[in-house]
Amino acid sequence: MEKVIILRYAEIHLKGKNRGYFERALSNNLEKSLKGLRHELHRLSGRWLIAAFDESKAEEICERIKKVFGVHSYSVGLLTDSSERSLFEAVLAVAPEEGTFKVETHRADKKYPLTSPEVSARLGGRLLNVRPRLKVDVHTPDSIVYVDIRENSSALVFCKFERGAGGMPVTTSGKGLLLISGGIDSPVAAHMMAKRGLSVQLLHFHSYPYTNEGAKEKVVKLAKILSPYTQTDRLTTVKVTHIQEEIHKKCAAELNVTLLRRFMFRIAERVALLNGAKCLVTGESLGQVASQTLEGITSSNSVVKLPVLRPLIGFDKEEIIDRAKAIGTYETSILPYEDCCTVFLPEFPATRPKISFIEEEEAKLDVEALVEEALNSAETVLL
Amino acid sequence: MIYLDNAATTKPNNRALSAAIAYAAEYFYNPSTRYAGGFEVSAAIERAREYLLSSVAGEKYALTFTSGGTESDNLAILSAARRGNAVTTMGEHAAVERCFSELKQRGVEPRFAPLLPDGRVDGAALLALMDEKTSLVSVCHVGSETGAVNDIAAISKAVKQKNPRCVFMSDGVQAFGKLPFRLPDTVDLYTVSAHKIGGLKGTGALFRKKSLALGAQIFGGGQEGGLRSGTENVLGILAFYEAAKDVFPTLETDAARVKSLREQLISALDGEFYTRLSAESGTPYVLTVAARGMRGEVLMRMLWDRGVVVGTGSACSSKHPRSRALAACGIGEDLLDGVLRLSFSRETTDEEVLIAAREMNGCAREFSQATAR
Repeated sequence: MEKVIILRYAEIHLKGKNRGYFERALSNNLEKSLKGLRHELHRLSGRWLIAAFDESKAEEICERIKKVFGVHSYSVGLLTDSSERSLFEAVLAVAPEEGTFKVETHRADKKYPLTSPEVSARLGGRLLNVRPRLKVDVHTPDSIVYVDIRENSSALVFCKFERGAGGMPVTTSGKGLLLISGGIDSPVAAHMMAKRGLSVQLLHFHSYPYTNEGAKEKVVKLAKILSPYTQTDRLTTVKVTHIQEEIHKKCAAELNVTLLRRFMFRIAERVALLNGAKCLVTGESLGQVASQTLEGITSSNSVVKLPVLRPLIGFDKEEIIDRAKAIGTYETSILPYEDCCTVFLPEFPATRPKISFIEEEEAKLDVEALVEEALNSAETVLL
Repeated sequence: MIYLDNAATTKPNNRALSAAIAYAAEYFYNPSTRYAGGFEVSAAIERAREYLLSSVAGEKYALTFTSGGTESDNLAILSAARRGNAVTTMGEHAAVERCFSELKQRGVEPRFAPLLPDGRVDGAALLALMDEKTSLVSVCHVGSETGAVNDIAAISKAVKQKNPRCVFMSDGVQAFGKLPFRLPDTVDLYTVSAHKIGGLKGTGALFRKKSLALGAQIFGGGQEGGLRSGTENVLGILAFYEAAKDVFPTLETDAARVKSLREQLISALDGEFYTRLSAESGTPYVLTVAARGMRGEVLMRMLWDRGVVVGTGSACSSKHPRSRALAACGIGEDLLDGVLRLSFSRETTDEEVLIAAREMNGCAREFSQATAR
């Protein structure tokens, strides 16, 4: 009898001919997440089995699996031979002490001497004999003991289904570049896109010396929390100090943020293309701040060709905070820092800037040279 | 690198370090043990204690080693203010200010006396806040942000006259080993820190009147007469002792020289950008200025990149960008964001302050050009 973890996958079964591609991606991701822990990963039909691990590490393995997208659910169970004696031993090990239960048997091995209902009845009966506080209820039991008899005269026995992260295996949707400030929203956006199979790289803008190194340290911390979900392995930082100074000096004050965002998007697109990312991701939510209005979004979108994904666009702040707490980024996100120096913040930023006005003001700047200069300041941190 | 943030911490004194290091490497014994090695270590600690005591205080005082200024302040305040109310100033370091806030939870009413424009406490207002129920009055010797020097001899005397039962304490972290003075009899408690005078971080001390009974905040093996349990920080204590032996003999000449450095620096700063905040009568070791309409923190980083290290205020409270103490002196909004604190040590040279002034002028010019519209 050996402790094993049975994994079931989420949406992959919807896939047709390219199902193998999704399965390979998921197994790669599982291997990556279990790196450093001794284990074997076996593919069964429609499931995966993690075996041969140190049983004291079972909990840690589960913690890591919970962060792998594409896993619908998992169960910690026992792998045993399919003799009735061994099956019963395993059932004893996983079954509860009290409450209502039923035994549910699947029999892939059609040569097995008993039918599935027979197996369930016999194991259930024996279990009732030794655990007097248990009662059978086949309709709405408190717990179900699953017995899965396989073709190679082995069997899996387990009791609980734990929810996995769901979604699609990361990388199957390609790679995206997240604009991350260090606040609450962008890590949540990264998590949501990773759930749909996107691997997420990070881009952080700073304006040293107007902002301090604290923000960057914070983003590195966030990246480390995110990477089990998002497979983030690098963070690029770009200095936009000179751009801010130029905008401040030459352009209408109310457009300060609008113009800076256009620069950020341009730079992001260039960084994305260099890194093989096929889309930009932001944590914007409609109407949250002055720059996150329809007009603001239009203004930023109009300077890039890559699609800009904004998974939080319809979320309330509260919903975003709940998710950040669930992912584990919230506590880091709320550490005090300045993502932007207030020296440059206008008193009344434009919430509905006209594109013609924006372009007129932007024409006062040497956009290409400033973008180039900022890109030259790019630094990449491997996480 | 030109280091002008000595009020935050000083560079450890090399000679003191190497003299003390033997007690970390060879004489590593626990001073509470009863074999010869242990006695040797505890004798060394007693030598340090006696020297530090004699440096500023007379026979009536005892000295307790702690983990630093903050612990000394906590020990003093939380055990001396037990009832009624306690009075302090609006110009205290967070270690004192937060203890007073804590007093409220413990049923002692904290009262805060206003500051004069030059940063000193308004003595009359302080006395007016006192009554027969006041159990503690705490006035810092030198304000860490303003550099203002309070005349603690006169203040403590007035306090004792008004209420002889009231305990008087003073946070001496920025004064000890810098200003020449002796503790007057009317000061019951005095807190100091080692790393402001060339010692190591993690070491401090509390001077206390022998006649005053204090309650321990940390319990255990009964070290430091039971007042502060925990195996002694031998290396820190001995480095403190060695550093003190270096600074005390030349205290007066050093202070005079540093004062001239401070004046050189202020006169070399461009008046178009910088306004002097700390008073001339303040400690020679601190010069607080403000760059009007600019951000002190940004200037600080620009200067760091140019090899000049300055502070923006009390380093321990730099998470709160605006200075409580300076606001309490009535410094205007337009200046509060632009505060820089330059603090010197006896090692600071003429050349260094002139370079620092030049770089400060350069940074301010650059800042105002970059952010002008």
